[in-house]
Amino acid sequence: MSMVRSWTLGRVVSLVVLLVATAFSVFPFVWMLVGATLNPSEVLRGALRPGAEFFTNWVKATRMYNLPLFFWNSLKIAVVTVLLGLLVNGFAAYGFEKYPSKARDMVFNVLLLTLIIPQIALVIPMFRMFAFLRLLDSHAAIILPAIMSVFIIFFMRQNFKMFPSEIIEAARADGASELTIFVRIVTPSMQAAYVSSAIYIFINQWNSYLWPLITILSDAKKTMPIAISSMMSAYTIEYGALMVIVCISVLPVLILFLALQRQFVAGLLGSVK
Amino acid sequence: MKQKASYQRYLNRFGWFCVLPSVVLFGVFMLYPILSSLYYVTRRWKGMSNTFIGLGNFIRMGQDKVFLSALGNNFLFMVVQIPLMVFLALVLAVILNQGIRRFKGAFRLAIFLPAVTSLVVVSVLFRVLLQENGMLNNVLLKARLIAEPIGWLNDAAWAKVTIILAMTWRWTGYNMVFFLVGLQSIDPQIYEAAEVDGASKARQFFTITIPLLVPVILFSVVTSTSGTMQLFDEPNILTWQGGPANATMTAALYIYRQAFFVNADFGYATAMSYVVVLISGIFAFAQMRLLGDRGNK
Repeated sequence: MSMVRSWTLGRVVSLVVLLVATAFSVFPFVWMLVGATLNPSEVLRGALRPGAEFFTNWVKATRMYNLPLFFWNSLKIAVVTVLLGLLVNGFAAYGFEKYPSKARDMVFNVLLLTLIIPQIALVIPMFRMFAFLRLLDSHAAIILPAIMSVFIIFFMRQNFKMFPSEIIEAARADGASELTIFVRIVTPSMQAAYVSSAIYIFINQWNSYLWPLITILSDAKKTMPIAISSMMSAYTIEYGALMVIVCISVLPVLILFLALQRQFVAGLLGSVK
Repeated sequence: MKQKASYQRYLNRFGWFCVLPSVVLFGVFMLYPILSSLYYVTRRWKGMSNTFIGLGNFIRMGQDKVFLSALGNNFLFMVVQIPLMVFLALVLAVILNQGIRRFKGAFRLAIFLPAVTSLVVVSVLFRVLLQENGMLNNVLLKARLIAEPIGWLNDAAWAKVTIILAMTWRWTGYNMVFFLVGLQSIDPQIYEAAEVDGASKARQFFTITIPLLVPVILFSVVTSTSGTMQLFDEPNILTWQGGPANATMTAALYIYRQAFFVNADFGYATAMSYVVVLISGIFAFAQMRLLGDRGNK
């Protein structure tokens, strides 16, 4: 009897806790959408009912603030980084894992060691370097340093561990070249790991703030986070247009998450395995 | 025999070929910056020129009240926010794992959702919702929970609370997912055996669940600690350049401002970043040791 009661009480409390957590988690998203339909003073007041200003805000965001260009800049940077990052890091992870040597293991350990260095410690010498190369205020400055990722090499290496070396040996016996083995035999079976890595790199680059904030100077080169942050520092803040841009900036990551939930979480969890 | 050796050499060369692009990029964008910072750290910038001052930057740091209080803020956020978040994430994970039967997937998805937003977006949303006459204050006033508006962004103490709230909103669901994976990897037979021995649910939780989750909890503490040491986006946008009056200034934000905003003192900023690296390294090492020890038990 008491068993049954505590069981139901537990269920009710659990459900309430989850509902409260869900409300807190989801509310800012709902309000983000509402905010995009409000005028600036309603946004600041935090009006809860949708307004009629969406079209005005949209026009402001696209005409006054060049939203399509910022979106394109962010998308271009993220996609190019993903493609180059998968190529370079995947290949390196394969080399470290399937061609074991003491020297390469040492290199790998040096790479891992740098994982604890926070970005803030690297941006100053990097800024000096890019100033010297005359590459400041360019998208190359954002893409180049983000291609090689120790974390992705580590994550991919963990995945290559699971690929049986016997298959590689068998392919060698059949006379396949090392490159053919990697491209034709190993890579196709690593799709899941590549997708997770791609999501991870895309999100990191899409959301990247500190380094672009330092390097990007001109309006035409701005990415979404930089555009948002410079709108926030303007003398008068166009809150309605800002909310439109905020909504659009969340969209790609949200879509990735909803469409590829399993790989999305696997990418985040990769390091735990 | 000779042929075998040359084949091994060929494989070894191919191995280097694989890692070469990454190693070159690593050299240019990681190793070189680290090495060149050794030069910057000994110099003092004045305008475009700079002079050698040895350890002068480190001496200056010891007298820099803003930097010391910024580090203090990093520690404060660490010791308040991380336990709060880990506790909430743990409670939610346990409930999702055992407390309910239906809609598990929907709840998990909803609670994880804040993790898809960038820190810039989180900062903008919270800055708008926490205005003096903004949404949260209006709701609290209407519910008669407060008599006058709270200065979420203008009051030194409340601004710190605001940063902690925003971080907790962004990261609780994210850590909950880690804990869920940890919980699901616990063998149910352990609980069945405990059940047979007559252990209560509460006792099972503290003697089975928590100890087995320690590695995952420590992992989340390690990553959160390193994240908090680098805290930048939120104090820069949400509480506006570490305001009010440096109340939410963090080490990373202060370094950025010294190098790129207020002054262009790259030497001093580099010296401060060394301290951040050192502290992060000590924390990571200490927590890893703890993780390793527990893992062996």
